[in-house]
Amino acid sequence: MAADLPGNGAALARPSPADPRLESLLSHPSIWRAGSAVRSPVWSSGFARLDERLPGGGWPRSGLIEIIPARFGQGELRLLLPALAAITARDEARWCAWVAPPLQPFAPALAAAGIVLTKLLLVRAPQRGRRPSVLWACEQALGSGACDSVLAWTRHAPARQLRRVQLAAQRGNALGVLFRAREAAREASPAMLRILLEARGGGVRIALLKSRGGVRSAFDLSWESVRGGPSESP
Amino acid sequence: MRAPRTLDLFAPAVLPAPSVPPARAVAAREMPLRLARATDAPLWLGIHVAALVAEAAGTVPQMLQSLARRAQRFTPRISLAPPDGLLLEVRPSLHLFGGVEGLRRALAAECAALTPSVTLAFAPTPLAALVGARTGGSLVVLDAAQLTGSLAPVPLTALRWPQELIERLACVGVRTIGQALRLPRAGFAQRFGAARLADLDRLMGRASDPQARFEPPARFRRRRELSYESASLTLLEAALRPLFTELGRFLEARQCGVLALECRLWHRHAPPTRCVLRLGAPLADTQRLAQLLGERLRTILLPEPVRACELRSAVPVSRVLHSVGLWQPGEHGGLAAGSGLDLLERLRARLGTEALETLALVPDHRPEAAWRVVAPEGCGAPQAEAPPSGGSAHRLAARPLWLLPAPRLLRQRGGLPRYRGALRLEGEPERIETGWWDGRDIARDYYRACDEHGRRLWLFREREPPHRWFLQGVYG
Repeated sequence: MAADLPGNGAALARPSPADPRLESLLSHPSIWRAGSAVRSPVWSSGFARLDERLPGGGWPRSGLIEIIPARFGQGELRLLLPALAAITARDEARWCAWVAPPLQPFAPALAAAGIVLTKLLLVRAPQRGRRPSVLWACEQALGSGACDSVLAWTRHAPARQLRRVQLAAQRGNALGVLFRAREAAREASPAMLRILLEARGGGVRIALLKSRGGVRSAFDLSWESVRGGPSESP
Repeated sequence: MRAPRTLDLFAPAVLPAPSVPPARAVAAREMPLRLARATDAPLWLGIHVAALVAEAAGTVPQMLQSLARRAQRFTPRISLAPPDGLLLEVRPSLHLFGGVEGLRRALAAECAALTPSVTLAFAPTPLAALVGARTGGSLVVLDAAQLTGSLAPVPLTALRWPQELIERLACVGVRTIGQALRLPRAGFAQRFGAARLADLDRLMGRASDPQARFEPPARFRRRRELSYESASLTLLEAALRPLFTELGRFLEARQCGVLALECRLWHRHAPPTRCVLRLGAPLADTQRLAQLLGERLRTILLPEPVRACELRSAVPVSRVLHSVGLWQPGEHGGLAAGSGLDLLERLRARLGTEALETLALVPDHRPEAAWRVVAPEGCGAPQAEAPPSGGSAHRLAARPLWLLPAPRLLRQRGGLPRYRGALRLEGEPERIETGWWDGRDIARDYYRACDEHGRRLWLFREREPPHRWFLQGVYG
């Protein structure tokens, strides 16, 4: 859980070696550090505090991330809204697909958050039954190149299928977001970023369970810290 | 007979002026007029299909039909010459297929897939081409001037005149076409009939010989019997593959795509299973069609093993060709937006047509009526509503992101609602009282509440007694 993770993420992410000899050693081209891995383009999350902690400074533009709320409805969707609004409002925007949303997305609230509804594609895929197709639909949407982002809500996510979804996201140059149940936090996953999230006062407590190219950390995020207009960052 | 689709103009040397059939000119009124260079004398390719064994003779007409369909790759001007011949006008196609030799090789390969016993012949007149093919020799006459010399040794039997006439001609020592041509015309007509003289004229190109054009069927429909009954999808898909190959040829010959495709699977006892694939845009890529149909087949339950499958298409429609961008859509410098139609089709094929939705706003204060579902049509659709400019933060706080399918009745304790534990009400209530005009009027006081896990919920209390509490949304 959040408490047993290293809490001071910012200090770990950008250490400043005082010793000049250490500095010259670390600048050797054969040494690669987690924080300086090749940056892939990102979407700004719209939360300054979150951008600081995320590898590259935002949500990855292509790749799979997982958001694991302690319970459904603790702010996991609100965390994505500023980025989704910025993504769908572009002229060259592609689809933003929602696969198997657990409840009816309320259009007026989404429009008020700045999401362009004509870019929103809701896919009703069966969660269970003879052919659970959530991850299949997710893979198709990500790999097709017709989507900027794909949000999917799933219960059963075998690691092998997740790997396929992750590869599809890279192929289609799209951001895949998987909302998973709390139990999934213990399982291994090929996702680039795994976020455990819990409501905390007027905001959420975020724990980065896995952060490729970044540092695992946990921190609080207040909803009041929304920037005026979320913007893209290169 | 169906009207010809184009007005054929014959070279003056081939067609005497008075015998232009007026019917063709009339039919050409509403048809596009195609002009061929009058100096380009037509070149006919005759194909003769022989039945290897007597029992197979019944299959020849069927084979001719399928051969004619296949030959559409080579030329649009195809005529059937029943019972066992096929005529292709190939002068305009020679250049494309690498001359006479290239065309012969390509056609022979095409025919070989159907039947081994096919002979080909090239000649400037249709009848000469047929006669050449029937004699089995490799007759290739490109120039009308060489026709007489090449046909001279061919026996008269190749013309398929009545046996009695052939015998009479043989009695006077006339056994080959060359010998018949040397007879005086007037005498020949008098003794053997004017129709026979006309035959010879058509053979030599002295009289016109218009051919009825082969009209292929408008829809694709092919059935295939399986050699064994099977319920396996993999085997079914393999069995459908040749049908898709034929469908591809069918569509390619027309430069068309299909909007709907039906696959029927026949069982031993149960009625046939029908599986219909509907597409958003005309599609001609059979590989993708097979893939989409495969997804559709995966969703249906077969009552019994399949013993035969059939593929039927709707009337093909001309497809719109798109240019493909150098960059991926969405990439920097790429296209504005990929329409994403392929994705929609693939998802619809597996999940059903109603599985895909987009949302639109409706100006109504009732939460249930403030939005509606729209079928998606592609991502390029123009933006329906402008994004709200001001006060978005306030509206976001006021409305939940998730709506329950139907308001859920909550238990109460001491007049306060409970949902898996006590709820803490937050902020000021919002009264929504509207909708009296359509019978679904509401009178509610909306509250925001926080449950024990920190989730924020959207509740309302009815204004009318018994003042029940309902949960309608989750802020998410």
